[in-house]
Amino acid sequence: MDHRPQAWGRPRDDIYGAYDGSYLQNSGPKQATQSPVVTGTSVIAIKFADGVVMAADNLASYGSLARFTDVKRLRTFHDNTVIGFGGDVSDMQYLDRLIGEIDIDQEYELEQLPDREAQKSVELMQASNLFTFLRRQMYHQRNEFNPLWNQILVAGFDDEHKPFLASVDLRGTSFTSPSLATGFGAALAQPIMRKYAATDEDAARLTRDQAVDVIKECMKVLFYRDARSLDRYSIAVVTKEGIDLKENEQLEKQSWAFAERIKGYGTQTV
Amino acid sequence: MTSIGTGYDLANSIFSPDGRNFQVEYAVKAVENGGTSIGIRCKDGVVLAVEKIVTSKLLKPGANKRIATVDRHLGVVYSGMVPDGRHFVDRARDESRSWRDTFKTPIPTADLANRMGSYLQAYTLYQSVRPFGITAIVGGFDSELELPVDGEVGSGPSCGAGGKDTSKKHGGPFLYMIEPSGLYWGYYGAATGKGRQAAKAELEKLDLSGEGISLEEAVKEAARIIYVAHDDSKDKEFELEMSWISGADGPTKGKHQEVPKALREEAERLARKAVADEDSDEEEEAKEGEKMEE
Amino acid sequence: MSMFSQNPLMNGPNYSFSETPRVGAPEGAREHRFDPYTDNGGSTLAIAGADFTIMAGDTRTTSGYSINSRFHPKVFKIGGTTADQKDATLVLSVVGFAADGEALKERLDSICKMYRYRHGKPMSVKACAQRLSTILYQKRFFPYYAYAILGGLDEEGKGAVYSYDPVGSYEREQCRAGGAAASLIMPFLDNQVNFKNQFIPGSGEGHALQERERRPLTRQEVEVLVKDAFDGAVERHIEVGDGLQMMVITKEGIEEIILPLKKD
Repeated sequence: MDHRPQAWGRPRDDIYGAYDGSYLQNSGPKQATQSPVVTGTSVIAIKFADGVVMAADNLASYGSLARFTDVKRLRTFHDNTVIGFGGDVSDMQYLDRLIGEIDIDQEYELEQLPDREAQKSVELMQASNLFTFLRRQMYHQRNEFNPLWNQILVAGFDDEHKPFLASVDLRGTSFTSPSLATGFGAALAQPIMRKYAATDEDAARLTRDQAVDVIKECMKVLFYRDARSLDRYSIAVVTKEGIDLKENEQLEKQSWAFAERIKGYGTQTV
Repeated sequence: MTSIGTGYDLANSIFSPDGRNFQVEYAVKAVENGGTSIGIRCKDGVVLAVEKIVTSKLLKPGANKRIATVDRHLGVVYSGMVPDGRHFVDRARDESRSWRDTFKTPIPTADLANRMGSYLQAYTLYQSVRPFGITAIVGGFDSELELPVDGEVGSGPSCGAGGKDTSKKHGGPFLYMIEPSGLYWGYYGAATGKGRQAAKAELEKLDLSGEGISLEEAVKEAARIIYVAHDDSKDKEFELEMSWISGADGPTKGKHQEVPKALREEAERLARKAVADEDSDEEEEAKEGEKMEE
Repeated sequence: MSMFSQNPLMNGPNYSFSETPRVGAPEGAREHRFDPYTDNGGSTLAIAGADFTIMAGDTRTTSGYSINSRFHPKVFKIGGTTADQKDATLVLSVVGFAADGEALKERLDSICKMYRYRHGKPMSVKACAQRLSTILYQKRFFPYYAYAILGGLDEEGKGAVYSYDPVGSYEREQCRAGGAAASLIMPFLDNQVNFKNQFIPGSGEGHALQERERRPLTRQEVEVLVKDAFDGAVERHIEVGDGLQMMVITKEGIEEIILPLKKD
């Protein structure tokens, strides 16, 4: 009796020679994303009294190269949901098309109803419902070892029409919070946002303008400290009235005065 | 009917000696019994309308839609056998989705008409199937905006090579009619179903190819034409169903949608008035004619 | 190789797989592959009483050093007939990889629901416990990376706690701690619930010492115990904190209690 379970069921080297595991493969390798290629950096979002604000810059990096500077990483769904994508851009495009199909299918269902009034009374797919779909899709693909290399924020409203904000990543890990940030934002922006909205109750006291200001401040911090970021960004505000999406914002009131005093910035005179 | 008893009408895919496919011609007969459908293409959009005969008082008003959306920017209306029409719509939706899967962009109206034409034509070739008992009118508005690509992230270079040529214009409103044989043409105005003769006569009076009429006028004309083409002596009651598609800057923002209730009711009021005026004119003419005889 | 250094036959004829040929990859090159697992921290705890069971967990969820959310429950009612689970009789806690935990919860919940629709009665804890083991073992070679604890009342109305490893090995216990701070909480529980290492003073010396007699704890005692256990865990483990969620299962139903924990 061999007392090491690791050795059980294995052919003996001394009799059969070293085991060649390659014979177990009977076909070519299955291809799947094993690492991201063109990537977007942080997405940040915060809830406020009657909605959610979300922002992400317009940069898509290829490693450390700022490859595309006009990439819109906030997507809308059905005029009641905003989706922000961090991570691989091609996987984001795949998901965007997938969501587009759902949108069309939903319209096919709606037009069966007799009139506008009936259509309005139908509960449309809300952000929370779309999030469940995305969460399951992401988890499913990780189970297939073919992950979509993203971290995603979804903002809008839930079934009870309260502001909704949630996150899911490439492993299907999902959670909600009054404020959320992906990538670098989790370290740099989240502490700032939590000062203003530590709890849902705090968030419910924030006005739209306050929330937008917090987000803009965070985008500035991110641009200062995240090397893979850009000063052009998209910002979206979701309320019951719909979505206000601006895709070509410029960071304002930057201060680089400190740079003069630091060696390594700009032209050195000494 | 010359075909009866000759045997050449018993199977699809068999020509008669004088070069006709009787099964297709019978399918056309099925269309000619259906409620009138029309489509109008104008400068800034497309209008589709159908005369929905009320076959039972037990049917819910406004329910059982006859005009269907395909993708976001296309509409389909048909006359003839409704189940065949439903299948036509299902197939059109599959085609537009597979187009999106391949090209990541909405299917142009002309390409959908082409694919659906080919699909219907295939149903004239085999013993095992019968042709579609419908004539379908397909209306669409192909986006005039640059590159409506699914999942697109940027807007491309703003100047220089690969930049935009603003002088070129593409997209716009389109209208096609597909018959049971698979034959399809593009139209300025199209009509099919039992009232097609009267409807076509009315459509020809509109100036659709020249200066054109506005989308809102087209909605009112469409309503009037359905009312004119309606034959009171055959079917008493009918419902008017209308949809429209405008460009991105128009009222439907490039989408195919049902005409809003208020506008449809206004169009119906004007249509009823126009029909009533015409009837009383005819009566007066008839009276004058009698007087002349005296 | 170090793994087999204790093998007495190392220098003689030996078993395989230490010399498995590597195909393709050159020496030293390592293929980077997707790791489907992560650890989201947090801790859970369950204690069975004479006629009740308390299931508890903290509400923090983490990735590395960052706190993803301060309120992400990991204790769930299972097998109710409605979305709000108000007629549920069982409670499941999961800790480890949160996405797997959630998927496991949803699978078990739908199975319990199906059982209820088919049989017209809720699943017993005993049956559910066996079924949960089967679900876990079915994924033996791609496991749900979650430490599950199932709680309820048994057929006699006594508190029941079943604890699991990620591949379905399970047993019924008086109490169990799971997750990040399990190793901190479990010894505390041994001492406070099962009175381990407690002796009657002056009852003798050495082996003659008499163990303190075990007695079932009251609900109030257990609630305090749970809070103390988590307060201690929060102090010593960075992945535990923010909120404490407790489910108290009695024959009257399930009561949920949310208490604050330190957020640092």
